Amino acid sequence: MAYQADRSQYPSRRPDGSLDIDLSSGKYLKLWQGPQHPGITGNMSVELTVCGDEVVEGKTHVGYLHRGFEKLMERRTFIQCFPIVCRICVPEPDFNEYCYAAAVEELAGLEVPERAHWIRTLILEMGRINSYLMYLGGQAGALGQGVIGQWTTYVRDLMLDRFEELSGARIYHMFIMPGGVRDGLPDGFEQRMEETLREIESTLADVKDVMFNNAVFKKRTVGLGYIDPAIVDQYGVTGPTARAAGVAKDVRRDQPYLVYPELDFEPVVGQDSDVFTRADVRRRDLLMSVDLIRQILARMPRSGAVMAPLPNVLHWKIPFGETYIRGECSRGEYGYYLVTDGSGYPRRVNVRGPSYTHAMALLERLIVNCNIADVAALMVSLHTYPPEIER
Amino acid sequence: MSLSDVLSPFSAWKNLFRDPVSIADPLNDRPGAPRYRGFHQNDIEKCIGCGTCEAICQNAAIDMVPVAEMATKAGDSGLRPRIDYGRCCWCALCVDVCMTSSLSMSNEYKWVDHDPEVFRFTPGIDLKHWDSTKLGYRRPEGHRLTGNERVVMGELAPEARADSFVEIVAGYDLEQAKLEADRCVSCGLCVATCPTHMAVPEYIASIRDGDYEQGVRLLYQTNPFSNVCGRVCTHRCETSCAARHEGDPIAIRWLKRHIIDQVPHDRVKQIAAEGRVNEPSDHRVAIIGAGPAGLTAAFDLAKAGHGVTVFEAQPAPGGMMRYGIPEYRLPYDKLDEDVDVIRSMGVEIRCNTRVGEDISIDQLREQHDTVLLAIGLHQGRSTRIPGSEHQDVVSAVELLRRITLGERFDVPATIAVIGGGNVAMDIARSLARMQRQQHGQVGVTLVALEAEDLMLADREEIDEAREEGVVILPSRGPRQCLIERDAVTGLETVHCVSVFDEQGRFAPKYDESDIQVHDAGLVVEAIGQAADHAFLGESLTEALEWERNRIRIDAEGHTSESWLWAAGDAVEGPDVITAVAAGHRIAASMMSAFAQKSGRA
Amino acid sequence: MTMQPLYQALKARFPIGELTEQRPDLAFITVPREQLRGLLLHLRDQEGFTHLVLLTAVDWIEEDRFQLTYLLHDRKGARDIGLRVMLPRQAVIEGAPMESIHDLWPTAATYQRELREMFGIDFPDSPGVNEDFILEGWREIPPYRRDFDTLKYSNATFAPRPGRESQDPAQYMKAQLYPDGA
Repeated sequence: MAYQADRSQYPSRRPDGSLDIDLSSGKYLKLWQGPQHPGITGNMSVELTVCGDEVVEGKTHVGYLHRGFEKLMERRTFIQCFPIVCRICVPEPDFNEYCYAAAVEELAGLEVPERAHWIRTLILEMGRINSYLMYLGGQAGALGQGVIGQWTTYVRDLMLDRFEELSGARIYHMFIMPGGVRDGLPDGFEQRMEETLREIESTLADVKDVMFNNAVFKKRTVGLGYIDPAIVDQYGVTGPTARAAGVAKDVRRDQPYLVYPELDFEPVVGQDSDVFTRADVRRRDLLMSVDLIRQILARMPRSGAVMAPLPNVLHWKIPFGETYIRGECSRGEYGYYLVTDGSGYPRRVNVRGPSYTHAMALLERLIVNCNIADVAALMVSLHTYPPEIER
Repeated sequence: MSLSDVLSPFSAWKNLFRDPVSIADPLNDRPGAPRYRGFHQNDIEKCIGCGTCEAICQNAAIDMVPVAEMATKAGDSGLRPRIDYGRCCWCALCVDVCMTSSLSMSNEYKWVDHDPEVFRFTPGIDLKHWDSTKLGYRRPEGHRLTGNERVVMGELAPEARADSFVEIVAGYDLEQAKLEADRCVSCGLCVATCPTHMAVPEYIASIRDGDYEQGVRLLYQTNPFSNVCGRVCTHRCETSCAARHEGDPIAIRWLKRHIIDQVPHDRVKQIAAEGRVNEPSDHRVAIIGAGPAGLTAAFDLAKAGHGVTVFEAQPAPGGMMRYGIPEYRLPYDKLDEDVDVIRSMGVEIRCNTRVGEDISIDQLREQHDTVLLAIGLHQGRSTRIPGSEHQDVVSAVELLRRITLGERFDVPATIAVIGGGNVAMDIARSLARMQRQQHGQVGVTLVALEAEDLMLADREEIDEAREEGVVILPSRGPRQCLIERDAVTGLETVHCVSVFDEQGRFAPKYDESDIQVHDAGLVVEAIGQAADHAFLGESLTEALEWERNRIRIDAEGHTSESWLWAAGDAVEGPDVITAVAAGHRIAASMMSAFAQKSGRA
Repeated sequence: MTMQPLYQALKARFPIGELTEQRPDLAFITVPREQLRGLLLHLRDQEGFTHLVLLTAVDWIEEDRFQLTYLLHDRKGARDIGLRVMLPRQAVIEGAPMESIHDLWPTAATYQRELREMFGIDFPDSPGVNEDFILEGWREIPPYRRDFDTLKYSNATFAPRPGRESQDPAQYMKAQLYPDGA
């Protein structure tokens, strides 16, 4: 179904380009979606101005999850920052740990052992699977299909059990630290991981049958939320959202890091750039991650150090420098900009989460001319996690 | 939209035939994983209360608190960590950094209580049901956040050092010192352990910062003998260093030496003089003995503006530091530097002046407000075995003094040394060097009553003496010196089965069937030292209180005579740093006596 | 791969500062603020740096400067370039404005809104720049500035829970072992 551009009569544009919305005219209504709302991917809200069933303007409001991490890190030494960075993005915390550790290692000149790179990649892919599973549940749930979330939360829990036995915690792993990773794989991990991956694949097969080969889902999502490939770079769109528009942006392929050069994979790309395609790209990317984990476990070295020797972390000073480390997380490009000034504390840590651009400028553009009922589906299809917007 | 899109979702109905995946009793059926970071455990016997866990905690969740169950003792502050679970994020950095591996985490994750205050608890002291759990997070093997191997100190190899008195230890260079200083976690347990409470973590930090002048400043706040102690201190601080439990203690003694090596001598004098009182007071102090106790007191008193004269019987100041410790351990010019700084405070040192001969103690009492007796123990004790009166049976103390005075007397090809302490090692190694210089080879046999692991000498001394050719025979007691035609020819020894009886009293038992004779043209006795108090005169000796041949002093070093204090080996011992601490106490005590006398608060 | 050829080409057209090569694919250049727009346009349209990765600020309070970092990414060339613009700190605090680049990248409006709120750097032409982004009803100075002391603010605003008190192991051990003083 082709997307129909602007089909409304209201509002008109003033000469200066702004919308002529007269709230007292009775044509328009302001509707708040969020911050506590089942159709929201976390704690943020969208302030909708609607005319009938049609959104004429949307404004994203964030601020419910500001914990001040970037400021907190100014008072914490480099080792003390490591336990808190994972909390910046709640559903997929490992990327924070990796980007922070890699930035510190680069500025401190630490050489991470080979085996640690493999374990880090394994963890990042495990985190990606978990994030996509949560997304699938949210996407279906935004359209009223609650059963998908029940299934994916279960297999996500199995993966959380794998995290627990590997890192010592389920959500905030605090396992990837500057220098390497904390420990190797526990005994029997590979077998249990294979069982979990099989459960995930079988659940994904069910999800495909019930969610994707589903007339209602297709009717509601095909053609919704079209992103023109031409605006992808302008709006800082990355990850599956960009790939579903046909722009094959994948940091794992464009600027490979960790052990991705040694793994066999191709970025998953779609063409139609609507909500359905984005969901499908993520589903296929999830299956690709399952395959990547199998490759990693088959090829990773079984012995060797997992940590580089660190200087005494209690008074670890890093010389002046600045750097940017990026990675491909489940939502797009995740990056840490770190500036050090020769003291034992970071001067500035800036976290670049993909949702920063997706949830603000991009969403406000896409939401125009949407039906109210479609707002949730559209928002979830951008796969935004509010914690990384406001840190 | 195809027909399959309408029918396909109904495949979900197959789940009607699946079992639910919910865990029926998660509280009991779902334990934490073996590595789970759950609630804390602490082995309170292993814990030393160093507070490194508190230092690393990113959210200030840990307090170090005194607990009734643990007393402060050597190497253990007696404090234990109390963790506030309102702030803890269970990152386990405290477990990773714990210097004794006493902290760990169980895999327990359930704790319910009505009272919010209980969630601030001291693991190991406040007993919990997870204390004995074996599962949970432990620091992974090889995972360290601080360095645990000491930077190796360069030393001369035995071949290079065995025939000269050149200093053996090279000292750290800048990079080595920085690496070693980096290992310190600034816990401060060493501070209380040092008799004079040197600010060790702070001066180690000054090495890390490259601020050596600040380091010298810190050293001089408590110890004017850093060149000396940086080489020969008994380093008790290193026995309570937190790093020694899982690795090597920080080389605190070598780092102290490194600091004073970096700053030029003239600048050291300027730094030491900071805070010096410029107007001289009208108090005059006489100090008998220019050893570490006497000179430290002199330094403090002169810096406060009082007039100090030190009377030293030998030609040069230093006491046992010069006349007891061989040059290969403590070069004389380094000792001279330390003494020079003290002189520069305005202390007058009169050498070659023996109290009792060149000046009397009564004269000192008349001419000064206060007198300090710091005469050390410069006489050797004798075994009094048959033959020990012969002139070639000498005390180690006397021989060491003669070597220091520059006498290069002839040594016979074979020598026997009696004694198992550091002084015995000093004389054995010094004589071995002289033998190599004069005969080209070593013939020193050292016999000690104790078994080797109970010998009082430092381990390094015993090992290095052996490397230099000294034959060490533990568990042998001296029986007699063999004399033929008026010359000493050997030492007869008997195997010693035990040294102390069940009550711990000195009562050696011998095995008479095991007797050996060791060839020796010279027998050296290094079994103990004594002081010569004759110069005090009869009436003063009567007036003073004594305790087993030592003058009795109170906690401030004051004797029973109001004008007389005593410090150092003569009354306490056993090492330089104790004497330094005593010197400070004496100076403080004298200065408070001055203040009381003049009626000021 | 190195950024030198690019740097030389840029230097030929614009007066720019030294090149700091952090990695072969990441470099930083300090540029004068008057050249910023020209450089951004050139990099975006001629050199392929079409993606604005981030726009953030660093507070160099000791040097009385705010550093704005514009990080651009060229996907085809797999390289990043960071442009540093130094602003006089005191002047900015007193209200001196900075030019907006929201017409080059619409997402810049969000970054600029955050900088206005967190650092107090004003981009008057940026759409919605004065709207609250994250903080609501904030009465203190912009919090990401180095002179905002979070500990002081926390102690003044919130009541710490009683029952926390710690001993210093060095002092405590000394007092226990030497109760009469050294």
